[in-house]
Parts: sequence; structure tokens; C-alpha cells
Amino acid sequence: MTTDLNARPTGTQGMPPARPVRPAGYAVIRVHRATFLLHRRAAVVAAALSVLLAAVCVAYLSVGESFVAPAEVLKVILGQPSSEELVVGTLRLPRMVVGLLVGAAFGVAGALIQTVARNPLASPDIIGISQGASVLAVATVTFGLASYGTLPYVAVSGGVLAATLVYLFAWRGGLHATRFVLIGIGFALALRALTTLFLTKGDYLVAQQAMIWMTGSLNGLGWDQAAPIGWVLLALIPAIAWAARAQRTVSMDDDTATALGVRLNRVRLGLVALGVILASVATGTAGPVEFVALLAPQVTRRLTRTAQIPLFCSALMGALIVVLADLLARRLLSPVELPVGVLTAAVGAPYLIWLIIRSRTGGKS
Amino acid sequence: MTRLSAQNLTLAYEDRTVVHDLDLAVPDGKVTVIVGPNACGKSTTLRALGRLLKPKTGAVLLDGTDLTKLPTKRIAQQIGLLPQTPVAPEAITVADLVARGRQPHQHWWQQWSAEDERAVTEAMARTDVSDLADRSVDELSGGQRQRVWIAMALAQETELLLLDEPTTYLDISHQVEVLDLVRQLNKERARTVVIVLHDLNQAARYADHLITMKSGHVVASGPPADIVTADLVHDVFGLDCVVVPDPVTGSPLVVPGAPWHATPTEPADARGAVHGGGLA
Repeated sequence: MTTDLNARPTGTQGMPPARPVRPAGYAVIRVHRATFLLHRRAAVVAAALSVLLAAVCVAYLSVGESFVAPAEVLKVILGQPSSEELVVGTLRLPRMVVGLLVGAAFGVAGALIQTVARNPLASPDIIGISQGASVLAVATVTFGLASYGTLPYVAVSGGVLAATLVYLFAWRGGLHATRFVLIGIGFALALRALTTLFLTKGDYLVAQQAMIWMTGSLNGLGWDQAAPIGWVLLALIPAIAWAARAQRTVSMDDDTATALGVRLNRVRLGLVALGVILASVATGTAGPVEFVALLAPQVTRRLTRTAQIPLFCSALMGALIVVLADLLARRLLSPVELPVGVLTAAVGAPYLIWLIIRSRTGGKS
Repeated sequence: MTRLSAQNLTLAYEDRTVVHDLDLAVPDGKVTVIVGPNACGKSTTLRALGRLLKPKTGAVLLDGTDLTKLPTKRIAQQIGLLPQTPVAPEAITVADLVARGRQPHQHWWQQWSAEDERAVTEAMARTDVSDLADRSVDELSGGQRQRVWIAMALAQETELLLLDEPTTYLDISHQVEVLDLVRQLNKERARTVVIVLHDLNQAARYADHLITMKSGHVVASGPPADIVTADLVHDVFGLDCVVVPDPVTGSPLVVPGAPWHATPTEPADARGAVHGGGLA
């Protein structure tokens, strides 16, 4: 492999000298012998999103029942002694961190599933993963098999289980993208009905509690919830780095990708599995915060204008959406707190309709 | 010499068998064209040669090894394949798409070597798409798009190149342009090319080695001048015709024989005359 770099161009006879071509918009980064392609616009978007996210985070920590000056907020974040330690550091910061992690996980999960399904409408909350998490969570709570504390773990298994079933049903000598989405939608509807059934059968108080969880809420979440999802995300960073490159190849048609030496079914399974785990863990942590996984990748892609969805940008976008939505959810009808899922759904549902209308009228040539 | 061959190949989609017990050898350094009527299994055969379709029985051999036993990335370093209707990722630029052809030569940690840059630059110059580098593939004309896809397959720099009906949807001048390009590649680089075509005249004109197929079987194979006869055309396509030498290349040229405006009393005579009078 290493000698390739020193190899001379062979057999260029009869060729007019041409200006070297690089994939448009990419910068080539060399580290010793390794080379990486970096999409310039995506890098700019990532930087801009980071700044914006930081600003929203400061606002999130400042605004609330009592207003804390941003200077005090920064002091708390930097670990300096502050009179607002309790409000900012103990009450608001942990909840915000959960929001960041959940949003980032949904952002990446949505991007991966949309890429594999080759469909902007596909996302964990549309193809049954969130519904799988919900139905198992509600069922176990209703029948007293799980406590509120073990709910996240139950939800994760529910999501993974539902996704596995969808994958198996959609499999016919290979994974067909459209069939995958349609079967997922079917499963989502069936599981939603089943959830309703359990809710009406179960105890009223339990149902009430479950309903809030099912809307997606960060209320009452703190370091105890942030730690598991934080570790999972950290552990999955190598896998996400792999996925960022691997998703390039599955965006082509099957024949072309195979001809280019891609082990298509394995790569797809890997990408879907990663997406499902991320979505399930996020759902287990905060409930199905709807439309984040749908919205974040699509908005990101419109900003970066890349052929793929840059995962890092999508993670930032997901985090931004959740934290911003939760900030609004806390303050909009203050002192009543809305579940964050209500806000994301209010923005996401119209966007989904717009996506469908646009694809039907043929937004592109 | 043949690097790529098929033995006792039976190909099926689900339980519908399309190709029965087929043997063929692709001569090295030559342009092989597979031709035949619709649904004769020619594209299916090409897909199997490029390991896109797993044979039901039999095997495709590359340098004597069964394709199913080779890692797909290793195959991609040897065999390039352009499907009939490839789909580009949305909003991708021309240079980006052509660069995807380098996939089998790249690694996670080696995403753009000097070799990649040379191969892509050369492939784009050769197919005359260098000026389109920054354009979006979505906004290209059919002819331009086909050239871009061919550039992608060329950037893969494989010794064997399989093309599935590369002239479909192109007007006549673009068809000729694409096929001339293929011939030129073969001549300059001694690349082995296999093309599926449905136009018999184009096939006869551009092939070194012609394989004619009918309902899943090979009917005849060899140099076009040796095998294209009125009888063969009648047998494979069910068409009465006259075969004359192409005035430009001298290759066999098939001219359909029964005039469409023939009066109802004439056809029997005309047909007989044509059949017997073929220049085969």
C-alpha cells in the first residue's frame, strides 16, 4: 500500500495534460502517510453549529424561574465558586447535558437510517424503533414487571427488538430500501395500537406517567440518566467514525456499490445496527422525542450540501434542536412545563408534510 | 488466454431460471459483445460475470478462482462494472462521483492518495468531462451523465471492464461516441471489455468477439465476420434480413429484409428471395 504513493503514473501516452481533479469542495488532509478528505463546507457548518450550540447552552442555563447572568453561568461551568451553583450546576446543567446527548444520538441515528433507507422520511420514530421502545416500556410498567428506574433498559430492548423484526421481515435475499421503510411504517402503526391497548388496560396513574415518558421529556432527568448514554456514545465513537466513511458507499444503487467492492449487506447491517442502538438508547433515556432524528439530518444536509449527511454536523444539529426545544418547552407556558417532545413534534410535523409534498411534486428534475 | 470465464452457469431470479448451463470465455485484451433479443439473459449473464448475481449452479472464474470465493474488494480491483441504470447519490458533483470509482483502492486511513488523483484526473480527461468537474450530476444531459459514469468505472482502473447497455437512452452520435471510447481504451491500454448491446449492427461493428444469446443459451460465438449470417439472425432474432459488408468498416451489416409496405401477395416470394440471397 505504501509504495502506491511513490508509484509513477503509468501509460499516459496520448493523453492531453489535464489539471488535477479533486472531489469538488473537499480538502485533503495528510497525516504522515494517511490521507483524509474533509468537506470544507461541512467543516464550516460544524464550526458555526458549535458556536450556536454554545450560545444556546448558555441561554439554557441562564433562563428559567430565576434569571442567572451569563457571566455567572460561565463561572459555574468553569468550576469557579458562584452563588448560582445550585440553580445552574445542580438543577439546569445535568438536564441540559442529557438533552445534548439525547439530541446528538438521535441526530446520528436518523442520518444513518435515512442513508441506508435512501429516504429522507425514514427515521427511528417512523420505522418502529420508538414505538417498539414504547410498547415494551408501557407493557412492563402496566403489568408491574418494571419500575420507573429500569424503564430505560426495557425501552432499549424494545427498540432493538422492533428494529430486528423490521429488518428480518424486510429481508429477501438482501435488504430492499423501500420495503424496509414500508414494513417499518406498518410495524410502527401496529405497535402504537398495542401501546394504546396497554395504556387503556392499565392503571390510570401508570398510564399518566407513561404518557409523559412517551411524549419525550427531559423533566427530572440528571446525571444518573446522562452517565449511561454518555458512556454508550463514547464507546461508539470508533463505530461512528467508521460509519461516516462507510455511508458514502451505500448511497449508490446496489449494483454500482457492489461493483465497487462494497460488502453491501454487511455495511448496511452495521449502519442500521448502529443507528438502532443510538436511537434506542436515546429513547430509553428521554422517551421518543419525536422528529429530532428526522429533522436534524435533513436540515444538516441542506446546510452542508453534501452527497452524504455529515454525522458530526447531524449530531450537533440534533443536540441544538433538543436543547433549544427544551428551553422553549420550559419557558413558553411558564410556570407549566411542556414535555420537550411536544415542541419538537410541533416543528417536525409540518416539516414532514412539506417533505412529502415536495417529493410528490418533484422538487428536483 | 482468458482471465474471466463461466462454466456450466445456471442463473435464476428467485425460482425463474433465466440462463441455462452456459459456458463462455472472455478473451483477454479484446472487446467482447454479448448480443441477443430482449429477455435472452444477456444482462443477467453480465451481472453474474461481475458477481452481482450469485449463480444457482456452476461458477464464474477469475484467473481460475471461483468469484464467490474471492473477497469482493479484491474482485473490484480487477473487474469494473457499470450497470444499466446506475443511481448517483443526490446532489453529488461530477468529480466526487468519479472519485468514488477509487473506492476499491482506498482505505479508511487513506482516502485520497496521489494515485487516486492521477486516476481520476485521467479518467475525466479521457471521457471529456473535466470541464464538468464541479457540476451537479443531477443537472447533466443524458450523454454527459453516461460519460461521467464511464469515467467512474475507468477511475477504478481495472483490467476487465463490464458495461451493461452503455448506449441506452443516448442519441446516435452519443452512442457512437461511447462505443468509440471503449474501442480506444481497449486499443491503448489493452483492457478487456465486455459489453451487452441489443443493437446487432453496433455489436458486429465494435466487437472483436461476438457472443449471441437466445433464451438463456449461447447460440454462436466468434469474430463477427465469421458468425453473423442471415441464418443466425433469423435463428436468434426471428428476423429475415440481408447481411452486407458495412461500407465504412467492412464488418457485417444487417439490413432487415421484408419491406414493410409489401403488398399481401408478395411477402412469400420476397421473403424466400431474401433468405436465399443473403450475402452470408
